[in-house]
Amino acid sequence: MIRFVVRRVVLLALVLLAVTFTAFAALNVLGDPLVNIVGPLAEKDCTEVYAGRAEDQSTSLNPSGDCEVVAAARAEYHLDRPLAPRYFLWLGDLVRGDFGTSFQNNQPVGEVLREKFPESLLLMVMAQAVALGVSIPWGVASAYRANRPFDRISTVGSFGLLSVPVFAMGVVLLYVFTLRWSVLPSAFEDDSLLVRLRSLTLPAVTLGLPLAAAYQRLLRTDLITTLQEDFVHMARAKGLTPVRVMFRHALRPSMFSMVTVFGLNTGTLIGGSLVVEQIFGIPGIGREIVTAVVRDDFPVVLAAVVVIAVGFVVVNFLVDLLYSWLDPRVRAA
Amino acid sequence: MTDAGLGEGAGGMTGVKAAAPGLAPSPGRARSRRLGFGFWLAAAWVAVIVGAALLAPVLPITDPTDVGAGGPRLPPSGEWLFGTDSLGRDVFARTVHGARISLAVGGFAIGFGMVFGGGLGMLAGFFRGRLDQLIGLVFFVLLSFPALVLAILITATLDRTLLVVSLTLGILAIAPVGRLARATTLVYAEREFVTAARVLGARRGRIIVRELLPNALIPMGALTLLGMAVTVVAEGALAFLGLSVAGDEAISWGKMIVDGAQLRDLQQAPHVAMFPIAAMFLTVLALNFAGDRIREYFDVRELAF
Repeated sequence: MIRFVVRRVVLLALVLLAVTFTAFAALNVLGDPLVNIVGPLAEKDCTEVYAGRAEDQSTSLNPSGDCEVVAAARAEYHLDRPLAPRYFLWLGDLVRGDFGTSFQNNQPVGEVLREKFPESLLLMVMAQAVALGVSIPWGVASAYRANRPFDRISTVGSFGLLSVPVFAMGVVLLYVFTLRWSVLPSAFEDDSLLVRLRSLTLPAVTLGLPLAAAYQRLLRTDLITTLQEDFVHMARAKGLTPVRVMFRHALRPSMFSMVTVFGLNTGTLIGGSLVVEQIFGIPGIGREIVTAVVRDDFPVVLAAVVVIAVGFVVVNFLVDLLYSWLDPRVRAA
Repeated sequence: MTDAGLGEGAGGMTGVKAAAPGLAPSPGRARSRRLGFGFWLAAAWVAVIVGAALLAPVLPITDPTDVGAGGPRLPPSGEWLFGTDSLGRDVFARTVHGARISLAVGGFAIGFGMVFGGGLGMLAGFFRGRLDQLIGLVFFVLLSFPALVLAILITATLDRTLLVVSLTLGILAIAPVGRLARATTLVYAEREFVTAARVLGARRGRIIVRELLPNALIPMGALTLLGMAVTVVAEGALAFLGLSVAGDEAISWGKMIVDGAQLRDLQQAPHVAMFPIAAMFLTVLALNFAGDRIREYFDVRELAF
């Protein structure tokens, strides 16, 4: 087990390097970083910038735009160095907690992320809770009488649910629950924790339902297999109630597949939450990214992408360890 | 398996190895000999959508970009089948035209993933060793990004033309398709007919193209429809982030849904969002269903998407 963990940690470090480099390189090679940082200023000659300073201050998107900004940006992002050393300098800043400065409002990016991240995280945790809360009873109910009418209908239902794009689900739920029935708030409010939870209910359901359908399918399949095992017959023969057999004996050994896809689904969930934040106006990391992309706020986009990607890799790493702890056969692979 | 969000590859480090596809029939479920009525229904819907996409410019419908073709936010009626949007544009015409970009992006992306992902995967599976490790690492890194985040990364700094958006989604398709191609190649490279070809003195290139490729194409092809469904949804997700194909002439279902999902539109004219949503849902459902049936029919057990 220890050797396995060590190997995995080395792999984790390699993948984190590769992922951060890919993100860094993509934003540096696909776009001119100087243009992304200082906007149109990058194309100007310094003398020109000084000459046109008065107009620039009133018209340009960056009121503070002048030569010092360009020079400062070059120094801050090491733009005078080649890509590889620049990456390591940037990475060094990153691990020291320096994410750079948002070009729009000169706020440190680390601060921006700390402010926005909890909202997105809360949304994702709630979505997983909805998914588990719906899928476990649903899976148990359909496996209990497999291939009977309820199971048949629910199989069709979960297939349909899996084909609903998350944003379509969001728009439909928004329409039905806030505009038609007015049972939930349409705008995000964050007065207190309770109000926040209320505001996040609909988005969490939007994200959680398709996920629940995916979990239900896996749980149903595994449960049907488990229910044919000898120890289940034994439990039944002892005279235990069906509910007890199901929840105390059959459920736990049937959750392997669900644990496996938990990590994979985190990626879907992250993507989904970026989109759902747009629909419901949640001030999370997704909205921050979109605003940053529209304004070419290079440091924010890069930092947000890196934080999300690193989080995703780490979650998958942990799921992997958990899974190999549950099932030793995985370690041999 | 198709996720409702953006197609998520079998990402991360969950050391679950790809099951050998296409060899033994799956246990417990009898292999169905017929595709069934549902499949043909789904295929018919896909054919209708493809037809609409191809024929949109010559069909006798209103110009979809014509602002003020009708009054703003007219409800569906005999004259305006799907009503009009906030600028008075014909939602029916826009839905028909929207199929063009959604399908073009989907088709191109899958084709790109097949050629590059499939090619790399087959090379990795055939030559093994160092090359396999290198290609495996590339796939692994691609899968280490949540798909939508990778798409943001690529589209963020580029001009969002049709080609760029299609290419972006195509890059997302490389790793899942590649892993499937590699797994399939690994299995078939051990089979007797490949050994026979070797013994007969066939060159490696010939073995890959003539012996392995046809066998790898079956499971890959079976996943084409599922992959299309994922990319159609992905385009919509990008639209919500303002990263779909730019410009007013570029109409896609995703962009129509975004337009119609503004609170005021949704309040006063829900049909503006609901018709493209219905079109997209039915198309994704049909692609998923048809893809699932084909996968069962050819008994491909890999869950690559």
